Amino acid sequence: MPGTEPQPSFLGRISIRRNQVSAMDVNHDPELEELELFQKHVADRFTDLLSPQEEVASTETLLSISWLRKLVDVFLCCEAEFKAVLIMGRDPSQICKPPLDRLIPELLDRAVKALDICNAVSSGIDSVRQYQKFAEIAVSALEQKPMDDGQVKRARKALNSLLTAMKVDDKEKDFKGAERTWSFGRRGNTNPFHKERAARYFRSLSMIIAKNWSASKQIQAMSSNLVPPRGGEPTGLALPVYVMSSVMVFVMWALVAALPCQERSGLATHFPIPRQLTWAHSMIGLQERIGEEWKKKEKKGSVGLLEEMQRMEKLALNLIEFADGFQFPGETEKMEEVAAQVAELAEIFRKMGEGLVPLQAQIREVFHRIVRSRTEVLEVLDHAAKISQPTT
Amino acid sequence: MEPPENSDASGGAVAFEDAQKIILRWDSTASEEARERMIFEGDREEVDLYLKAVDDIQKSMSSTSISDDQDKVNSATIQIAMARLEDEFRNILLNHTTPVELNSLAAADPSSSVHSSAADEYEEDDHVGDEDIQDQIQRADSSASNGNTSYRSTSSIREIDLIPQEAVADLQSIAKRMISAGYLRECIQVYGSVRKSVVDAYFKRLGIEKLSIGDIQRLEWDALETKIRRWIRAAKVCIRILFASEKRLCEQIFDGIGTAVDDACFMETIKGPAIQLFNFAEAISISRRSPEKMFKILDLHDALMDLVPDIEVVFESKSADSFRVQAAEILSRLAEAARGILSEFENAVLREPSLVPVPGGTIHPLTRYVMNYISLISDYKQTLIELILSKPSTGSRYSGDSTTPDMEFAELEGKTPLALHLIWIIVILQFNLDGKSKHYKDVSLAHLFMMNNVHYIVQKVKGSPELREMIGDDYLRKLTGKFRQAATSYQRATWVRVLYCLRDEGLHVSGSFSSGVSRSALRERFKTFNAMFEEVHRTQATWLVPDNQLREELRISISEKLIPAYRSFLGRFRSHIESGKHPENYMKYSVEDLESDVLDFFEGYAVSQH
Repeated sequence: MPGTEPQPSFLGRISIRRNQVSAMDVNHDPELEELELFQKHVADRFTDLLSPQEEVASTETLLSISWLRKLVDVFLCCEAEFKAVLIMGRDPSQICKPPLDRLIPELLDRAVKALDICNAVSSGIDSVRQYQKFAEIAVSALEQKPMDDGQVKRARKALNSLLTAMKVDDKEKDFKGAERTWSFGRRGNTNPFHKERAARYFRSLSMIIAKNWSASKQIQAMSSNLVPPRGGEPTGLALPVYVMSSVMVFVMWALVAALPCQERSGLATHFPIPRQLTWAHSMIGLQERIGEEWKKKEKKGSVGLLEEMQRMEKLALNLIEFADGFQFPGETEKMEEVAAQVAELAEIFRKMGEGLVPLQAQIREVFHRIVRSRTEVLEVLDHAAKISQPTT
Repeated sequence: MEPPENSDASGGAVAFEDAQKIILRWDSTASEEARERMIFEGDREEVDLYLKAVDDIQKSMSSTSISDDQDKVNSATIQIAMARLEDEFRNILLNHTTPVELNSLAAADPSSSVHSSAADEYEEDDHVGDEDIQDQIQRADSSASNGNTSYRSTSSIREIDLIPQEAVADLQSIAKRMISAGYLRECIQVYGSVRKSVVDAYFKRLGIEKLSIGDIQRLEWDALETKIRRWIRAAKVCIRILFASEKRLCEQIFDGIGTAVDDACFMETIKGPAIQLFNFAEAISISRRSPEKMFKILDLHDALMDLVPDIEVVFESKSADSFRVQAAEILSRLAEAARGILSEFENAVLREPSLVPVPGGTIHPLTRYVMNYISLISDYKQTLIELILSKPSTGSRYSGDSTTPDMEFAELEGKTPLALHLIWIIVILQFNLDGKSKHYKDVSLAHLFMMNNVHYIVQKVKGSPELREMIGDDYLRKLTGKFRQAATSYQRATWVRVLYCLRDEGLHVSGSFSSGVSRSALRERFKTFNAMFEEVHRTQATWLVPDNQLREELRISISEKLIPAYRSFLGRFRSHIESGKHPENYMKYSVEDLESDVLDFFEGYAVSQH
């Protein structure tokens, strides 16, 4: 055997960290494989979101709290894998080469926008917890046996507050609805500020968010420069950047669609993902389903597509109708129906009680993760710039 | 005025009927009159009667000797009463939403001069009088803080009455009854929704803005500095006074009902505003790092650090965990940012690329900037010493990397990481300057440049006791040696060849001693000397040594070598020139001429030649 020098040919391409010797396939590029795996994982996770396994399908209805938690989890997994692909084991100067020199800053800009959405959505969850509190009042009133006028009135009041709160959160500037929750209008009151101020008390969202910030505009800005890369660029990283960006935009979009958020009107129901991309099939499917839901509710206006919230609204409307027509002791059949609805409402706010706080915590984790990754990418960029810049 | 207790059934029934009548009379869904008036705004007797009526109904509800029908009526009546009480509760709260004048906070500080310009009635929410408020707080600030740079307008928790005590008592009596009737949730909800808006109004007055993270990334740093300053002042008032007072208000109103209730109300009230407050600091902590941000970031860090004990107290309940956690997260990010900025700064100093040589070899703007920066760093020594924990990453002596200086820190035992960083910064500054000096065509100027700049560094270090203490006298000595060496190198580079003209050798013709002087050689010497000196004089008059003392020293040093040499040369050889033709062409300079010309050196402007 002449010499033991490593040949510069296929042996040189074996990546030690993969521990993989592929003597059969000379063109086996571990980096390329990593990118392909990343896409496959993304595709698999989204397929699971679109059509979950039998055992869990019933609890993971589209846009329910548990589905959203899963969605956020998917984001965190994709993000972790993406970071590994982008940063680890790679020559940092690659990130500065075209087209990445444009794509990475765009990604970072999207990341900042996503942070604002995380905050907005988190405060939206606080709004939902407000609705939950109204629902709790109604349920505890209606659960009293036997049901009497007093409790029914009480429940009706609470349900009305619930619906009004939802309406106000949906249409920020509509103050009129808020007055109805008072058991009387303050018509005799000469102080004009009182009324307006009173109405504003239901407006929980704009406590935190900047006045002219718009969730839908934010999503639009995030997706406006989202363009699939043309094949054949040198680093091969443009595609995973596109994939991760699409994931980010999708997740943010879904969260905004589901939860109360300032200025969601005009939320585009589609952002462009070319159909021929195989990894995106499930994402596109989800996009379509959520888009349909959105269109259904668009005319009436809806504070969010969160499944539990939608059901809560419907039940509230039914129960208000019941309460309006209630006369003690009420017909047995009707009472049974109402009892079932009350039980359902109780179940909903139990789910909310269980799931909303963890969901909020997960979104906070997303926030942290995006911040950390952004910082790391910025450091890599600065480091790479340092190397490429001569001192003399 | 209370009717006598009746324990027998008939008496009880009468009391109950009366009570019910009262409650029904005030049913706002039933009568116009009930809608138009508020019980608690009227006669105290009415108030007492109503409250007693509620109590009576409740008492009878808990009594077991009633029929189902009675029960039903009770429940309906209670609901009407609770609805009414809810509105009364809301109304009382609404009547007391005008924010308390904040100058009353400064007034509590005896050393402050209270300016009552903002004591006028505040308009409703739209009045933005925050400038007045900030001024007052600042006045209280400066008079109380002994002139140091940190803000101490509110140095500890100070609870104030946000609502008059009579209103609190009324709210308390309503809350008690609502809660015992099982209407706790309604009570909390009403309370939270009104107080939340009040806190929002306070925020506006304090100048706390609602900015998104995107907004903050886009703003110019100057604008952000102002906002940070304002935030620091506002945050202290918010946490130590506003939130603490809201907390106490909740405790007062829901006194004796258990802490869970007042915690819930407090959270309802301040959760949104507190998130808004913290989000600003968080956004700053994640903004892109660049050197000019260092000191405001440190200010923010210090201010927040200072607030931590109060945050622990104000947000002590379990439901407020997230705030304590967020504060810690922000602090840690600010610390990271400070470390990152220091690193950025060091990089920037090392790689600062300007190639255009500074005219006249004077102090480079980079030198000024860097020395000012590290002087400021030494001002913030107290904080930075805690934050900077690792040594600078230097080049290795053996790496052969010519783009980074190397430095062994073994000789700098016992120095804090911060001090090592400062020394490192000076090292890389010199390294960079050295590279820049090579762009001067004239090597003398290169040396002069280095002399000027290293001397400046030494002066700045000496001028700041903290900086000097950290850099240490050992290194200072090294630096001093460097600029003296540069001065020497300059002198050698310029004057060796000039003085070479005045040497003895080569002028004497071999053999004889006295008359064996080659006149032609001598003439050459004089001509060369004159030309050189003229050239040097013309050029180096335009060079600059800004430091007076250094300039003097350098000129003296030049004179000490030049003048005696010329004098002695003249003395020895003038007769030979004078005995020949046109001596003035060769002996252009007298000793006095030279002395006076030396004074032109390094002044930085051109001089006319004679």
